[in-house]
Amino acid sequence: MEGKRTVALAGALAAAAVIAVGAWVAGSRIESPADAAARTAPPMPSPILVPVEQRVLSSNVITRGTGRFGLPQRISIVPSGLKAGPGLIATLPLRNARLEEGAVMLTASGRPLFVLQGRAPAYRDLTPGISGDDVRQLEEGLRRLGFNPGPVDGIYDQQTSAAVARWYASRKWEPFGPTRDQLAALYALERDWGDADKARLTAAAAAAAAALAVASARATAEHNLRAAAADLAAKKADWRRLTSENGTPLAVESERAKAEYADTAAAADVAAQVADRALIVLDPRQPETARAAADAKLAVARAAAEKIKLEGRLAILAAEREARLAAEQLALAEAAVRSARLEGEKVVQAALDGQKVAELDARLTAARAGRLGADLDAARRKLGIQVPVDELVFIPGLPARVEEVTAVVGAAASGPVLSVTDYQLAVDSALALDAAPLVRTGMPVAIDEQALGIRAKGIVEQVAATPGTRGVDGYHFYLEVRVLESQAKLEGVSLRLTIPVESTKGAVLAVPTSALSLAADGTSRVQVQRSNGALEYVVVKPGLAADGYAEVTPVDGTLAPGQLVVVGYKTPENRDRQ
Amino acid sequence: MNTAIRAGVTLSVLVCLAGPAGAQALAGMGTEEFGLSPKQLVEAIEKVEGLIAKCMREQGFEYVAVDYQTVRKGMDADKSMPGVSEKEFIRKFGYGLATTYTGEPPQLAMGYSPGRVGLGKKNVEIFKGLAPADRVAYNRALLGENAGATFAVSLEIENFSLTGGCTRKAVAQVFKPEQMLATYYNPKDAQINKDPRMKAALRQYAAEMRKSGFAYDHPDEVEHDIRKRLAALTNGGTILVDQMTPAQLAGLKDLQNYERRVAVKNFQLTEDVIDPVADKIEREMFARRSQ
Repeated sequence: MEGKRTVALAGALAAAAVIAVGAWVAGSRIESPADAAARTAPPMPSPILVPVEQRVLSSNVITRGTGRFGLPQRISIVPSGLKAGPGLIATLPLRNARLEEGAVMLTASGRPLFVLQGRAPAYRDLTPGISGDDVRQLEEGLRRLGFNPGPVDGIYDQQTSAAVARWYASRKWEPFGPTRDQLAALYALERDWGDADKARLTAAAAAAAAALAVASARATAEHNLRAAAADLAAKKADWRRLTSENGTPLAVESERAKAEYADTAAAADVAAQVADRALIVLDPRQPETARAAADAKLAVARAAAEKIKLEGRLAILAAEREARLAAEQLALAEAAVRSARLEGEKVVQAALDGQKVAELDARLTAARAGRLGADLDAARRKLGIQVPVDELVFIPGLPARVEEVTAVVGAAASGPVLSVTDYQLAVDSALALDAAPLVRTGMPVAIDEQALGIRAKGIVEQVAATPGTRGVDGYHFYLEVRVLESQAKLEGVSLRLTIPVESTKGAVLAVPTSALSLAADGTSRVQVQRSNGALEYVVVKPGLAADGYAEVTPVDGTLAPGQLVVVGYKTPENRDRQ
Repeated sequence: MNTAIRAGVTLSVLVCLAGPAGAQALAGMGTEEFGLSPKQLVEAIEKVEGLIAKCMREQGFEYVAVDYQTVRKGMDADKSMPGVSEKEFIRKFGYGLATTYTGEPPQLAMGYSPGRVGLGKKNVEIFKGLAPADRVAYNRALLGENAGATFAVSLEIENFSLTGGCTRKAVAQVFKPEQMLATYYNPKDAQINKDPRMKAALRQYAAEMRKSGFAYDHPDEVEHDIRKRLAALTNGGTILVDQMTPAQLAGLKDLQNYERRVAVKNFQLTEDVIDPVADKIEREMFARRSQ
């Protein structure tokens, strides 16, 4: 009986428990329509309020850049004509090494490469006697280093040479004196000058001799001409003497007269014989022998007449020939005069030409001797202490720091070896096309890099006039920022550059831009919570917007710093997120 | 009878409780990463990318917000290579972490790089146009100390704990704080992991892994551990292989071998032990949800 009660009690308890659990489950799963409506109804929106602030607003251009020390300047070694070839690099500076004026940048084959300040690069050996801006830079550097080079006049003189020697010696380097080649060249120049001087004297003597030869030629020509003229005069006198007044030669006339006379005499003799014979022939008493004798006499007379006639003709011909010969001799004498004149002129001209050649030779040799003399003087002047071009480098700004060393120890000291920069920190950057017009030279720049804790100040040094210059792409303008002050190392670091391009004049009333709304009439307004908790719209005039805030000036109503304005409304989703 | 009553009571209680409890746990549970629905994932990606672009602008860098498709491509590129099956990839490259490590930032990677894919071509081009110092600062601003933890990759592996810079800043504004932790499990996975069957499977998994010399209790721990080891060895992925010391190179080589071995084993056990159980639980879970 007891057991049955116990079982009944347990059953009742179990049933009660099941009912209780079932009721709890049903209660938790069943809800009234009112509960359901309340649960699904939208929550009451609650405003998100932020205070009105009094702050300076500025609109910034933000970009990135890389810090650097000035612009790298490549240092190249120019081979020196004073040396047989480039030396081998023995020592090189480390990157970031500081180079002061007068310091040795590197050494090559036991010779130094000095650094001096100067804008013009070293391009030639600096030797005594030359002049130019490079020499002036050398003199200025020597003066700054305390080695008086005399007047800073851009002329490498003995004082400059002496100052260079003192400078080298002060750095424990041997000054660069005359080279073996220079001395050999000097000796060769001296020898050439000696030869040229001798040649000059010889040529001068030859010129003087040529002048005498001209005088001699003139005298000889005069003499010959006069002799020929005298001969001609004699011939003319003979001619005049042998000719009649009408010009016929007297000898011919004489011979003609003689021949005529002889012919007449012979004809008279023949006529006399003819008459004698006729008397004999007509005289019968004459013997035959008489007749024969008369005939013979006549024949002899006739032959004699013929002979005289021939002899006269021959004598005339001979006279005529003599006359022609005399004329010819006269012509010959005249020709001899002309020939003597021409010959004399020719000889004189030849002598004059010879004199000119001799004088030209004298001038040329004198000029060469003079030139060689000047060269010799110059070479002698250049024999002082000099600065080979591969032992000096001019850098515009000192001290400088070594940016990059491209040469290696053991390489030939020629061509680019390293690059240096000055100590002016700058930042290379770029501006987008739309930002570039907003940035102007001289604008302040905030420089920072949060990750490295860097903060610095600078100013805009330059904005390129066209995009795509100085290594930036064609869609950006190059921007250079000069660093004014920095406590951190900026070189090689990527930096954020913040450039305020527009700013309010001092602190102004500002609200988050999300607090601004547009009214139906187009006016801007903010919703302000008043002290009693009520929300009220205040019409404002928006100004500069930056950093998520907008400058506002109340137009209708009041707005003061600290007052709360609505920037949004909380929603269940926002609550979950928070 | 007593037994029957107790069983009946217990069953009725469980039946009554199972409905609301399951519904509560599955509420808001999506099938995408971090338990997001596809729509939520798209929105989250767009928000994060917009915030990254804004943050990068504030840092002075140009960054083009990447669209969903590009991020998705980056996610899909993780542990994937054209023409190579997943199994083959794991055999050759493990998780593609130490085995493909070069030290180059993802933008400059030439071969396999899900990070580069997820950043988008435009941003890769922007990066390539920067000076060396700016590149370092760009990736520090974008990715923080771990250059491999791009948004797409971190989203794919559901681990934002390695993110940094603007990526972390943006992610933190869109995702919940607990989702930023390395220990975070999305609701679906967490629910599955709580299942006794999965617990049993994980115990078996851990035992099998230990037999092979790997001390992992969950398949998801392996990749995270490799990432941590690689980040420690490479100083957050900033040391170029060419510039590694012999000791670092030896360490990388060891890590690569380890990655391949553990990935193969992990893949095998996941396929054999974990996936069947997870699939079964997931089917049941979503079947209940649809009811």
